[in-house]
Amino acid sequence: MNIEDVFSSRIRVKILKILAQVGELNVSEIARRLRVNYKTTNGHLKILEDEGILQHKVFGRIRLYRFNGHSLKAKAIQNLMEAWEHANKR
Amino acid sequence: MTQYRSVFKDETKLDINYIPYRLPHRDKELRLLMEFFSFASLAPEKMAQRIMITGDVGTGKTVLSQRFGADITREANRRGISLRYVHVNCREYRGSLFLILYHIISIFHPNFPRRGYSAEELLRILLQILDEENTYIILTLDEFESLVEREGSEAVYKLTRLQEIRPNKPQRLSLICILRSLKIIEQLDASTRSTLQSNIISLEKYLKQQLETILNDRVLLAFKPLTVLEDTVSLTADLAFSEGGNARFGIELLWRSGKYADADNSDVVTPECVRKAVSSIYAVMRKNDLAFLSLHEKLFLLGVARFFRGSQRAYAALTEAEQAYAVVCEESDVQPRSHTQLWKYLQTLSTLGILQKKVSTTGSRGRSTLIYLPRITAYELEKELSILLEKGGA
Repeated sequence: MNIEDVFSSRIRVKILKILAQVGELNVSEIARRLRVNYKTTNGHLKILEDEGILQHKVFGRIRLYRFNGHSLKAKAIQNLMEAWEHANKR
Repeated sequence: MTQYRSVFKDETKLDINYIPYRLPHRDKELRLLMEFFSFASLAPEKMAQRIMITGDVGTGKTVLSQRFGADITREANRRGISLRYVHVNCREYRGSLFLILYHIISIFHPNFPRRGYSAEELLRILLQILDEENTYIILTLDEFESLVEREGSEAVYKLTRLQEIRPNKPQRLSLICILRSLKIIEQLDASTRSTLQSNIISLEKYLKQQLETILNDRVLLAFKPLTVLEDTVSLTADLAFSEGGNARFGIELLWRSGKYADADNSDVVTPECVRKAVSSIYAVMRKNDLAFLSLHEKLFLLGVARFFRGSQRAYAALTEAEQAYAVVCEESDVQPRSHTQLWKYLQTLSTLGILQKKVSTTGSRGRSTLIYLPRITAYELEKELSILLEKGGA
């Protein structure tokens, strides 16, 4: 997927922003914070995971999503989010 | 503007959560704990341990286990073993196994969802996390009584028999249960009891001299040099001893006394500061107790109060109290009572808890009786007695 396709979705950007802030979250909680339904959230998470940006762990019935620690793309996005937040606070 | 002065060098050293490097009079128990858990820094996967630590309030159960936790973790990590010490106060989590397990999981995954799980599922998830991260835990369940009272045998059984549902896997979880007495264990069923009661460390109440060592250690850490009088420490130790050998009480009293010294802008923490601190902890002595005393009991007590007001001492010898009483009698124009009679007054006042006495064996002249004020300041006592005597109330 091209970079413009990944970032073309407002929901995906919001997911990345949330995870950059809190570290990791389960799908329902991400959906609640986005104020969209579970299915939509799940779809976007899958796209970000397929791109290697996110990864998840399964604990019983839940999946916890976080940035993929081994991905350069993930690192770059986290840096971008951090720099953006920092600049906005100034 | 006056400059703020303080007798404290670092008052956090008197905080309930401070873990000192040195644990006076608990070194034997600390070594024993290290022995019980020697496997944890060598081959932690091979076994899990279960220990019970019992003892009254203020006997050092919590600090012993926290000191041990810090030491064993450092030792294991030095050897490349991922070991964590987790200290949980069961009462804080209302004795709920679910809340306790949730707390432990949230150490690893801070945003782990709170709802939708049973305690069994959380236990399984915890083991999964520990397996994935190749980590071992020593879990201390402080105020273990709360867990037993709320959850009964079932919860304890689950925690102690974890390995039975996962044979041939590394043993991840060891337990230290802290409780005041073993009586509560009788509530557990026989099989659960048998998993727990093999290793018990019982902490005896601290003796007065031991309390003095502990308090002196903390004085060195928390106060500026020469700001705490020897008598102040001794009186604090006496009071902590009368509270069932409660070191925590003594340490808190020391802190409070320091605060009173600061509030009075004093460079020294005197025994009067300790008495002020004590009277702020206990409900102040009932004035009724004073009102019902006889005239000479009041006069004797007034003499004692004046003696302490005029000195920085914590203890008065009976002869010194007698002299102060004689002066008070002269002022009031009454004939002083005999030594034997004063001794009886002292017994009465001691029974009422207004005065305390102890026998001193130090010095070259054998045994002598020392008097101290356990829960009221000399200033307050003198004020109350003066009001009563003015009213003519014998």
